[in-house]
Amino acid sequence: MKDSAASTGTSSLNRVAAIESEWRQTIRKSRLQTFAWMILVSIILLGSVELSAVGKSSVDAGWIDRIASFVDRLIPDLRADALFAGRQVDGSLASWFYDLPRWLEAMRETVAMAFVGTVVGGLMALGLSFQAAANLNRNAFLRHTVRRGFDAARTIPDVILALIFAAAFSLGAVAGVLTIIITTMGSLGKLFSECMENAEMNQVDAIEGVGGNRLLQLRFGILPQLLPQILSYWLLRMEINLSVAAALGIVGAGGIGMELERAISFTEFDTYLAILILIVFCIFVIDLVSEQLRHRLIGLTQ
Amino acid sequence: MLELKNLRCCFGDVVAVDNASLSIAPGEMVGIIGRSGSGKSSLLRLINRLYVPQQGEIFWRGQSVTALKGKELRDWRGRSAIIFQQFNLIPRLDVLTNVLLGTLATRPLLPSLFKSFPAEQRARAVMELDRLGMVDTAFKRTQNLSGGQQQRIAIARAMLQDPEILLADEPVASLDPINSEIVMQSIAALNRERNITLLINLHSVDLARRYCSRVIGMNNGKIVFDAPVEELTDQEVDRIYGATSQPCQADLAPQKELKTARPAAVPPTIRGEPQLESIA
Amino acid sequence: MSAEAALIARAEAILPGAVIIRLERRIKTALAVAAFLIVFVACCYDLGLSWDVLGGGLVKMGTILGAMWPPTSGGELPRLLLALVQTLAIAVLGTLLAALVAIPLGLAAARNIVPNPAIHFAIRRFMDLFRGIPVLVWALILVAAVGLGPIPGILAIAFSDIPRLGKLFAEALENVDARQQDSLRATGSSTSGVFRFGVVPQLLPVWLSQCLYYLEQNFRAAAVVGVVGAGGIGFELEERIRIFAFDEVAFITLMYIIVVGIVDFGSERLRAHLT
Repeated sequence: MKDSAASTGTSSLNRVAAIESEWRQTIRKSRLQTFAWMILVSIILLGSVELSAVGKSSVDAGWIDRIASFVDRLIPDLRADALFAGRQVDGSLASWFYDLPRWLEAMRETVAMAFVGTVVGGLMALGLSFQAAANLNRNAFLRHTVRRGFDAARTIPDVILALIFAAAFSLGAVAGVLTIIITTMGSLGKLFSECMENAEMNQVDAIEGVGGNRLLQLRFGILPQLLPQILSYWLLRMEINLSVAAALGIVGAGGIGMELERAISFTEFDTYLAILILIVFCIFVIDLVSEQLRHRLIGLTQ
Repeated sequence: MLELKNLRCCFGDVVAVDNASLSIAPGEMVGIIGRSGSGKSSLLRLINRLYVPQQGEIFWRGQSVTALKGKELRDWRGRSAIIFQQFNLIPRLDVLTNVLLGTLATRPLLPSLFKSFPAEQRARAVMELDRLGMVDTAFKRTQNLSGGQQQRIAIARAMLQDPEILLADEPVASLDPINSEIVMQSIAALNRERNITLLINLHSVDLARRYCSRVIGMNNGKIVFDAPVEELTDQEVDRIYGATSQPCQADLAPQKELKTARPAAVPPTIRGEPQLESIA
Repeated sequence: MSAEAALIARAEAILPGAVIIRLERRIKTALAVAAFLIVFVACCYDLGLSWDVLGGGLVKMGTILGAMWPPTSGGELPRLLLALVQTLAIAVLGTLLAALVAIPLGLAAARNIVPNPAIHFAIRRFMDLFRGIPVLVWALILVAAVGLGPIPGILAIAFSDIPRLGKLFAEALENVDARQQDSLRATGSSTSGVFRFGVVPQLLPVWLSQCLYYLEQNFRAAAVVGVVGAGGIGFELEERIRIFAFDEVAFITLMYIIVVGIVDFGSERLRAHLT
């Protein structure tokens, strides 16, 4: 009896030792891994600093002065006593926002660009995403072609697209709208097709079973079950496209961005700030509205 | 008259339906029994042409429907209505629209896409819903209804197709006992009153015995039994379901089976059900 | 016909409003659709979108696409590769800077870290306001402020990502499972111990994966800011579009798409590994 008790004692001791050494090994391995990752990340960071030439270009003597004078010109010279005076009075809000009617006009153009681009791009995405979903399109070649198309449309920087479109359609809102259409089609197309791959197929079966053609199968078998998701993505994209549209103007594709560009080229930094405030305000308002709508849509599904 | 000749259908290596031949007279009500995976569903889906047969022919009223395409195929699907175990309704649409979707095969495309249906069809949909005791739910969203209610809506949708033959794929397998009785009776009434040829997959032998005049047994994709219901002895049932010694719970989704088969055996059954326990 | 009318009448009696759709309901839907279409067409008109413009432009677009074939590096492959790596470097540094600033902001905006609701509400609204400013808008003003080169690019990416990452970081913090901290507290750990073992292990993978996602996005942003003078591949592209060297544009774009694909793939794998 005693013998066996002693032997179980030693064997359990052995087991503890084995577990402990295993644990030490695990710890060592994970530390080693962490270390290797840290080295890799440091190399990437150092490489980035070296390649982007941050170290070489930045630090010259007048650096701080330059920033200071820039900030000075960015902040408008508002005077408290003349704040609400007319446009001709220096230091009034009206003289800061001296070209407000034209900016509003440009802002309206930006909103129109985002709206038209989102609607058309979304419709194109909807039409094509069926082709990119594995459960709805068995033709692998066509499916991959459409998917790669979506990928390309998402990847090419929008500004580059806008410049190319501007070369063909001349500078202005048309180039901007086309750019937004393409990028929206790419990103929404990918999202929509992913939604569709998760759709319940028995509804499609039902419409096929009653003798509905392909279009009706998609219309009644797919669209109703995915509509809340699709609309919610669509609205989200509308928000994103508003800032895209504002940015595209900077390279000459219409809207408020062109006013920003003009302000910079005349080095009117305070004007730039004024227009920026206008943009941020508009985006903020539209975000709020769209967020409400999206929450209501999500509420519908639950 | 429905005729199947040497029908064969496989998915990859799996043979779903193997050399199936049968003929069904107009107005018959035929039950198909067999373990799950025995090819019952595939057989119905082949007839409706949701599946494509690799071999064999399907005739309806002497005309082949095996190779129909496009408009003619959709037309045939319109005439051969199918009811699914999971109802396959559109949950986010209201009941009336779901029922009206039964008319898709015969309606022009554009109005259908915009859910626009003529008054006459809407009237028919209301009458069907009324007949099934579902008219109160007409404007409700389908997703909020119970399984029994949904299956009755699916029946109404099938009736809007004005079908010549009705294929029911385990219509009551997902329903509780009371609802499955209601649904089975509605389906049987269609056969009696409108003389619609009926082919119905059943998960329970008892239901087949009580409702069908003729029973087909399937095992492993083959038709192994085809006779009037009187000849469906317990030995035959065992043969259809495979082994006698081993109860096949695993194949038969026991929970569903318990819900439906047991109470169905409690009311005065027409024929004995001693072997049912081994199946259930 | 009369049988049909009788059927309709009977059904309408059973369920009023189901069979004969009232005109006002139809008019309502028609009005909604019409209003949308009118707004849409008005917008198109306002933007100068017409079939003429589109047709003429498409013809020119055809010429441009034709000029893209065959893509060529113009004998400057090493320079282009360097620009591409530079763009990636701008993205990495921009993301790093953004993450470093976003961490304290995220901490301050998290409900379970800062109990004072006024503070985290204010910080969140502040971040919401800045979230809408596109990276190109930042880049334009920063180039004006600090001059051409990669620094305004890095800063632009950082500025535009700080509020976005800050918000995500705060949300991740709020989603940390408090039970793990409770169990650590129950074993008598110090506050720092609770943070180290109860919060960090849950938080770090989420934050890292969010940073990686933003790194992917910033590779695209870094190309965009290059166009207004922040160096890298965007600058090279812009230059070539201005001189209509579309065969080289096509080459650079293809190269860029492939590298983006590789970076996305690697980052996705890493993120899947992390979460």
